[in-house]
Amino acid sequence: MIAVGLLLHTKQLTRSPFEIATALIVPVVQATLAVYLFRAGGEPGRLLEAAVGAGLMGVWSSVLFGSGGAIQNQRWQGTLEMLMLAPRPPALMILPITLATAVTGTYAMLATLLWGRLLYGVPLNFAHPLLFLVAVPGCVLGLGMFGLLLASTFVLLRNANALANTLEYPIWLVSGMLVPLTVLPGWTGPIAAVLPTTWGARAVQEAASGGPVWPSLGLCLAISLGCLVAGALMMTHVERRARAAATLALA
Amino acid sequence: MALFRLIGTGGVIAYRALFNWTTPSMFIGSLLVGPIFQLLFFAYLGRQLGVADDRFYIVGNAVLAASLSCVFGGTMAVANERRFGTLGHVLLSPRSRTAVFLGRVLPYAGNGLLIAASTLTVGALLLGLRVPVRALPGLLLALAVAALACGFFGLTLGALGLRFRDVWVVSNVSVALLLLLTGVNVPAAGLPGWMRAVGEALPITHAARGARQLAAGEGLAAAAPALAAEAAVGLGYALLAAALLKIFEAESRRRASLDAL
Repeated sequence: MIAVGLLLHTKQLTRSPFEIATALIVPVVQATLAVYLFRAGGEPGRLLEAAVGAGLMGVWSSVLFGSGGAIQNQRWQGTLEMLMLAPRPPALMILPITLATAVTGTYAMLATLLWGRLLYGVPLNFAHPLLFLVAVPGCVLGLGMFGLLLASTFVLLRNANALANTLEYPIWLVSGMLVPLTVLPGWTGPIAAVLPTTWGARAVQEAASGGPVWPSLGLCLAISLGCLVAGALMMTHVERRARAAATLALA
Repeated sequence: MALFRLIGTGGVIAYRALFNWTTPSMFIGSLLVGPIFQLLFFAYLGRQLGVADDRFYIVGNAVLAASLSCVFGGTMAVANERRFGTLGHVLLSPRSRTAVFLGRVLPYAGNGLLIAASTLTVGALLLGLRVPVRALPGLLLALAVAALACGFFGLTLGALGLRFRDVWVVSNVSVALLLLLTGVNVPAAGLPGWMRAVGEALPITHAARGARQLAAGEGLAAAAPALAAEAAVGLGYALLAAALLKIFEAESRRRASLDAL
């Protein structure tokens, strides 16, 4: 059911000109910015890291805005009641949507790598090419599960999309997607350590630039699994509350 | 007097109506806190790469912060009227639509100024930037000019909402391009010539340059040419927005596509 739902929602997202344009163009602009920043900083050897980092930023943006607004979007489309009427746990109905937003986010990774290669001649010399092909889907899966927690939390807030704007840069920053964690203040360390985005980003960067990929990927998936359980519990609670108060269709 | 009332009071009423969805906590979270994290992101990245000092990033990103509410606000000024079903009523008004829409920019520019000033203050406090007290009035002027220019830029994008359906794509991409092309985060010398040339025609570029001069203690006289250039860019976008609104309104009436979503 998750696989079919994932396919359905991915197809639906890929029909949206807004989603495609945002997932393709914005990360490419960010990748360009990163390339010029790294060049200006005299770090041409780290351009692959810049392109991969910009791609990861795009994946996070897709998950944040897609998952954050997952339930609201279903409500606007008039399909939320039907999803909640299905004889399955509500989390299982929403998880394919959040996974689909992460899958759509991989456009960003592909776009930034191709853009970097074709336009700026960034050598795609991955330290562990095969592990890179494992780390990216692993990271996407982890972020998709994290997305369920976002979806279930954001549904409690009116206009969660506006809040999502606030969370984009902090997660980019604290997860070390482009800025190494070593340059951040020490107090950000514990926050970074509990975020699946940190470990997912580290796994992908290690696959690209070298380093032990499996421990980071394992931690990303373990934390994401915890988020999935928390998100499922929250979703059940929210659904029951909405049914009892008859507010399911209300924004 | 009636024209000023239309621009001022009309702008404020439209702002309250189109921003009816926001709450103080939402406003603070998305418009005041968000840009501070953007500033910190680029300041730490710049520190790590050794591209420029903190002043470069704090002042540049503070000026850029004005663009957030202005670009999206300008887009909303037109697109949300359509979404709420009131665009037809606005265009049926016997008053000048140019004045109506130009008036909408003022509240958004005021918002932009507030956001930029708060970003500059918090950024300077967090990262320990000392700004000369005598530079503050000039900095406020630079932020105000940038906010106004961005407001007219946003309205130009909003005017496209009369013609194109997915205007939010345009505003999202524009905000990302401002980040790249205005020299706020990459020193202009590090960008190719064509990007610098495009940046010269965008809001923020000149104001950020002027604000950096002011923050470095160079005085208003040194920053005046940059601020004048920013004002000229803003005026250019105001004229362009007025022209596009007129053209697209006429075309949407002719094609009966005003409320087509």
